[in-house]
Amino acid sequence: MDPQDEEIEERAPALAVDFVGVSKEYLVNGKHVKALASITLNVKEGEVAAIIGPSGAGKTTVLNLIAGLEKPSEGDVRVLGLDLSVSNEHALSAFRSANIGFIFQSYNLVTTLTAEENVELMMELAGWSDSGRNGKLTAELINMVGLTDRAQHLPAQLSGGEQQRVAIARAMANDPALILADEPTGNLDQKTGLEIVKLLSRLKGEKGKTLVVTTHDDRIVEMADVIYRLENGGLGSVDRPVRVRS
Amino acid sequence: MEVWEALIGPLGFAAKSLRRRGFHSYLAFLGLTLTVATTTFMLLIGQDLATRLGIDSSMRSTFGMSWLIFAYLVLALALISIVGLLSSSYLVSSMINQRMKDIGVIKAAGALPRRLLSYVTFEALVVIFSSSLVGALSALLIYASWSWPSISLYKQVGPVPNAGATALIVVPLISFLLCYVVASVRVRRIVGSSSANAISNQLSSLDLKSLGKPLRIKRFGSAFNLATRNVSRDRGFNGMLLSIGICIFLSMVVLSGALVSADTSASYVSRALPPHVLIVATSNIYNQYVSLGTSFSRTEPVSSINYLNESYLISAQNASAFRAIPGVETVDTRLITMSSITGFVKAHFASNQDTGENINTLIIPEVETGTTQALIVGIDASNVIGDWYTSDGFLQPADAQYTMIAGDSLVGNIVQMPFNLSQVSAFNFRYDVKSALVDPLNAGRVLYAPVQTLQRNLGVNGYNVLLLKVNSGPAVLSAVARLASSYGLMAGSQDPILRSDLAFLGGTWSYIFLVPILALALTCGILLSYLATNFSRRFNDYVVLKILGANVWYRLKLLLWESWGVLAISMLIAIPVAWAVSIFFLVPDPSVSVADLELSTLVSALALTSVSLATAAVYSRRLGLTTAKHLKP
Repeated sequence: MDPQDEEIEERAPALAVDFVGVSKEYLVNGKHVKALASITLNVKEGEVAAIIGPSGAGKTTVLNLIAGLEKPSEGDVRVLGLDLSVSNEHALSAFRSANIGFIFQSYNLVTTLTAEENVELMMELAGWSDSGRNGKLTAELINMVGLTDRAQHLPAQLSGGEQQRVAIARAMANDPALILADEPTGNLDQKTGLEIVKLLSRLKGEKGKTLVVTTHDDRIVEMADVIYRLENGGLGSVDRPVRVRS
Repeated sequence: MEVWEALIGPLGFAAKSLRRRGFHSYLAFLGLTLTVATTTFMLLIGQDLATRLGIDSSMRSTFGMSWLIFAYLVLALALISIVGLLSSSYLVSSMINQRMKDIGVIKAAGALPRRLLSYVTFEALVVIFSSSLVGALSALLIYASWSWPSISLYKQVGPVPNAGATALIVVPLISFLLCYVVASVRVRRIVGSSSANAISNQLSSLDLKSLGKPLRIKRFGSAFNLATRNVSRDRGFNGMLLSIGICIFLSMVVLSGALVSADTSASYVSRALPPHVLIVATSNIYNQYVSLGTSFSRTEPVSSINYLNESYLISAQNASAFRAIPGVETVDTRLITMSSITGFVKAHFASNQDTGENINTLIIPEVETGTTQALIVGIDASNVIGDWYTSDGFLQPADAQYTMIAGDSLVGNIVQMPFNLSQVSAFNFRYDVKSALVDPLNAGRVLYAPVQTLQRNLGVNGYNVLLLKVNSGPAVLSAVARLASSYGLMAGSQDPILRSDLAFLGGTWSYIFLVPILALALTCGILLSYLATNFSRRFNDYVVLKILGANVWYRLKLLLWESWGVLAISMLIAIPVAWAVSIFFLVPDPSVSVADLELSTLVSALALTSVSLATAAVYSRRLGLTTAKHLKP
């Protein structure tokens, strides 16, 4: 092998998400329903991957598999170097709390906790026990999403956009290498959705996080380095918009 | 198309809604069915027991004891009914609250309030009616399969037709009506509020007071701190705490009340027939005295003898000889005889205030209350052995000569309250009644009078029974037996009478203890329903925590702190209050075994804690099977 090639291979970013021949079947009312059919998906570290497709195509299933919330029926799932197919429940929980941040379409903040407490909880789940440091970091994250004056409010006292901003702050709280976002602007209006897209692009640009986003939002697709289209459980086509534009 | 889908109108709405809500529908149905079934079954058993024990104790025992047992059973069954009804109404309220958002959506979609009200109330009615019916039938089936014939009380009393029939109809009916009222009021309130409030019910279920100042104890960890915030910010927390607290309080009153009542009834007998007492009498009177003492625990009638036969009498000189035996502490000289007595209520004045300011004083003439056979015991008030439970004290040396204390089985018929107006005629002499006492002798149909008065009235000089209070040394009994033999008398311990009477009481209470055990089971079931309802309500939050990386231990600890925390606070409040009520308000002059109370508390705490741990474990397991797909929007 050419030494120059070796150098390039060493410098090439590692795969944050590596699906090889992954299938997923569910048993619904006694019938086997195939959600994913032997898909292969690669997301490099620092990349933003957008997964698009119609409702019911299997987008959320892909995120569940990446997070280790479900196990594949067939194939290998490797995330941040860990083979999730063979990891036990305890290891997967520890892996999620240390490495993954979540953003949901329906925000899913803990209803009984304030905005600030929701963010801080993520640090506690990651095992960060220094409450002084956690408090300081929480304040920074809440400030980053522009909600300092709403820190003591419960989710039910916040608007949808504000709740999603708290969710983004929460997703950043454990300083994860990988952020999974399930239709993060799906429940928001154009203007509020734009604020969320800007925040997500900051995660990419300033923080260098790897993002896997399922979305119908063109603005997020525009931002993505790689786009996967899921249809009927299969990975129909892969578009690379940067290359397309060039 | 399935049958459900073809239904239209309120029935179709209810059928589809209940079927599609799956787990939550089953939970509400199961909780209500269990509550109705357990409450009905307990009342069936309780009524049956009360009837049997009532028949059984009317053949023996004493009025005071029967009253104590019966009063306890009535109180226990009343408290159990309250627990059952309280639980049913809470479950119905929770069931309707879970539908709050849907009601808001349907209302916002334009449903007329009256139609919406009828649809949702009908849906609740389907659950309430079916659970009341299934609960009542289950209770009847369990009760019918209950193996009464193998229980000795059944053999003694025989089958009691229709015992508990009232409970079978009344409990499900009242439960159904109460649930219906709770459901319709709750639905009416939700339908009456604005759609926006109903749809965004999340905020209305939270208490905002504790925001910004959460309780945090670092050493208990993050799960504890999250649990405290979860429960303290839940607006329904106080209500749930109160409901569980009341249920625990009532079932603890039933449980500790049974122990206190059992201990107290045993103490009444022990006080009347204290241990370390020897009976000295001629063999005929000795055997008769034993029969009189054990008539409390036997159904056979006491044979009649001539108590005042010359040959049965013991002279004062011979009686005093027993005092000289070392180890004999007291000699209680008694003259006993069976006689016909007549009760009277003395003539007295009574004031009668009419509607104006006039007060009329009336003269109430003497009234005869009846005639019966009773054992009359002459005693020397300064040397009496026995510390009976009395209403107004026992005979004192300073009391008037013609004073009597009445046994509890004479109270209410021959002897009327207030006692200062009551008189008893015996041997053609009138005696004033000073007080009443609980006494197993002749099953409570007994009167105590000063022995000198009795001797004078009967023209007898001497006694026919001596009771000797002795120390526990073995030499005393043989010394007493020797002296008794030299006078042609017989001596023996009173302890076998006490043991026989206590065994009868123990047997009776052993049937009744079924009631508190079932009450505890009912409370466990109710706690299970409360916890399951609350866990289901917050399940989405737990799923979020799981997705964010909360491991199985964290989730289990969180559920445990939430369930056990609520239980611990409820128990801390309810158990001491239940102890206080059981000890100070349930029975007069109670006797309390601290060990019994500790045991009852330990058993209750263990049972309830097990339920909270099991519920937390089940939900933790259920949580383990969920994924992001189970999150509700």
